[in-house]
Amino acid sequence: MRKTWIAAVACALSLGLAACGGSAPSGAADDAPAGGVGPDGTIKIGSLHPLSGAAAADGQQMDNGARLAVEAINEAGGIKSLGGAKLELLSADTQGKPEVGQSEAQRLVQEGAVGLVGTYQSAVTANVSAVAERNRVPLVIDVSTADSILQQGYQYTFRVQPSSTVLGAKGAQYLNEVATAGGAPVRSVAILHEQGPFGSAIRDSFTAEAERLGIAVGPVIAYDAASVPDLTTQMTQVKAAGVDVLVVTGYYRDGVLAAQAVQTVQPGVAAVYGVANGAFDLPQFPAEVGQAGEGFFDANYHADMTKPETQELARRFQERFGDPIRTGAVLAYDAVRVIAHGLETAGSADPEKVRDAIAGAELDTLLASGGPIAFDERGENKNAIPILMQVQGGAVRQVHPGEFAEAEPIYPAQPELATR
Amino acid sequence: MSRPAEDVAAPDDAAATPTTAGAARVPWARATAVVGVLVVAVALAYLQSGSGIVVSQAVVTGILVGGVYGLVAMGLTLIFGVLDIVNFAHGAFLALALFGTYWLVTALGLHPLVALAGNIVAMFVLGALVQRGVLAGAMDRPLENQLLITLGLAMIIENGLLLFFGADPRSVALPGDRGVAILGAVADLSRILAFAGALVLAGALFLLLQRTRLGTAIRAVAASSTGAELVGIDTRRIYVLTFAIGTACAGAAGTLLAPLVTIEPTTGAQFTIIAFVVVVLGGMGNVVGALVSGLVIGLAEQLGGLLLPGQSPLLAVFIVFVLVLFLRPQGLFGRSG
Repeated sequence: MRKTWIAAVACALSLGLAACGGSAPSGAADDAPAGGVGPDGTIKIGSLHPLSGAAAADGQQMDNGARLAVEAINEAGGIKSLGGAKLELLSADTQGKPEVGQSEAQRLVQEGAVGLVGTYQSAVTANVSAVAERNRVPLVIDVSTADSILQQGYQYTFRVQPSSTVLGAKGAQYLNEVATAGGAPVRSVAILHEQGPFGSAIRDSFTAEAERLGIAVGPVIAYDAASVPDLTTQMTQVKAAGVDVLVVTGYYRDGVLAAQAVQTVQPGVAAVYGVANGAFDLPQFPAEVGQAGEGFFDANYHADMTKPETQELARRFQERFGDPIRTGAVLAYDAVRVIAHGLETAGSADPEKVRDAIAGAELDTLLASGGPIAFDERGENKNAIPILMQVQGGAVRQVHPGEFAEAEPIYPAQPELATR
Repeated sequence: MSRPAEDVAAPDDAAATPTTAGAARVPWARATAVVGVLVVAVALAYLQSGSGIVVSQAVVTGILVGGVYGLVAMGLTLIFGVLDIVNFAHGAFLALALFGTYWLVTALGLHPLVALAGNIVAMFVLGALVQRGVLAGAMDRPLENQLLITLGLAMIIENGLLLFFGADPRSVALPGDRGVAILGAVADLSRILAFAGALVLAGALFLLLQRTRLGTAIRAVAASSTGAELVGIDTRRIYVLTFAIGTACAGAAGTLLAPLVTIEPTTGAQFTIIAFVVVVLGGMGNVVGALVSGLVIGLAEQLGGLLLPGQSPLLAVFIVFVLVLFLRPQGLFGRSG
């Protein structure tokens, strides 16, 4: 029976390894004091993103976005109120693991970062925000949805993207508006969501708003994003329920599986509607799933591609990294701009003064937004909203609300399927 | 505790022989029990969901997904049964095979099924080189050595793929892939093909182990490497060949899976946990057992999702796993000591 034991240990180990990673070597304790202008006149900003692991594609995009922001600010003359001091980006790899993110954040602070941006995964961000708070260094969150991060009473953490409450509620409102305008009001929706805190939070806020608008919600089906091999059974449940619209909240890989299952099962819904979906509004999604993704909606925070500044950034990004820019990178770009703006207004590289300047900041943004970036007392961006995108002709287009629209929304999105 | 001493001292280690119980006799009682439990689960799922089509879709998907799990676990169980190595690099080999398929299909324009042959050969050679070059020296060492070596290999392969291919997800399309109706349910042609591939691979490995001299030698080494050496079997050669065959299985699985998954450096690792569960459930070293327990796990996952709505489908998988290990610690088709 020795082998059974070996196998049991192996199972336990592989589960354990999935949860923990090698701790990153912490940099040699630097003599430089925390924060401030370095001896060579540069000011350091830390960028914490998953550069390896399952989310590496997004993490690398975001790190590149932060890098472009630093370069653009330096080219424009650096921080003028500090005598044109140049910025320097310190990049760190969180590997998508909370404890690695925590130790890397500590290392960046010790190396003199006056501000941090990051980190994509909510669990990692939660740990990094604790480090920021303890060291009194501002953290500007580019991407991380969980509401709980900013409910700790933290003074040094700010978030550029909309919280899950805003994402879910606005998602339901947009659906109602687009469907009513399309002449086929929504009466019932099914929700397919990943079972983690992200998917569950969106499910709750979407459901609350949808029911307020008189839309029946159910069935609600959860799946494990990390391991789900196929979504056809879940899609058949949706088909059997005969709902008007399928709402999907999840990450990239499972979003692709959902699109494939929709094509296979043909659930007969008027629209497949992502809420903060990690797949449906990415440029590579239509390329990967082809015709299966045509007409898919996604209500999500997004770069505003109708703004000339954003188009210019997208062009530079493509030129420099040979990859179409994603919204995550634009958020990282804006997050670095927020810190630079704080430095400029504070006229000081003291992290505490920078924090105060960020708290009172008002800064134009490259994102689709209800107004300039400005933070409330909890650190949430007051004007952050999602917008609605739709895959049309193999490309992701902004379709709603009107002021952000590049194209008209097409609803019902799959009329040939909608006629049951 | 060195391996040979342990094997001599514990003759009941034959439980790990990669023979199948099916060779001598079909375990009817156990097969009936498995089918009985399945029928009850289907009935309950029907009561819970109230829709026949949903249940038949769950069963069809469960069987097809289960075949994929069995496919991934076969190479792992072979290596486990014969070499006693917990091969953490199996998922990484799978990822390598996925990227190999991607490269063969996109760069050389091959049909994914043509890429299969190339992938199997390439992964066989790679497996042989890895065993001979990296693992051979650790064969008589404690378990942790091999475990850490394979873990290190997995990291090297995954990060190598990240370096060369980048982190962007990729995909391979099977020309002419479409939905096929089965019993009121639908399944993609690519999934049915992967399932058929799993059956063929299980059959081929079964015949190899049962009907050839090489297979007999492999089983002998698994039963007792010292004994095998005494009757003139070159155990080092068997170790190399078995590891190579196991890795070639990952190669075959990689090509068959390529149209079904999003190809990323970490894609293989996502199968690792399930694959270990399948290996233990099926009985260590039992190739046909791996296929059957793959089906059991696939069905548990799909029906469990219907029976326990709102819970992780993995919950049902691990309930089944723990129950089976409680009732039969040697696995469904392992031999009792």
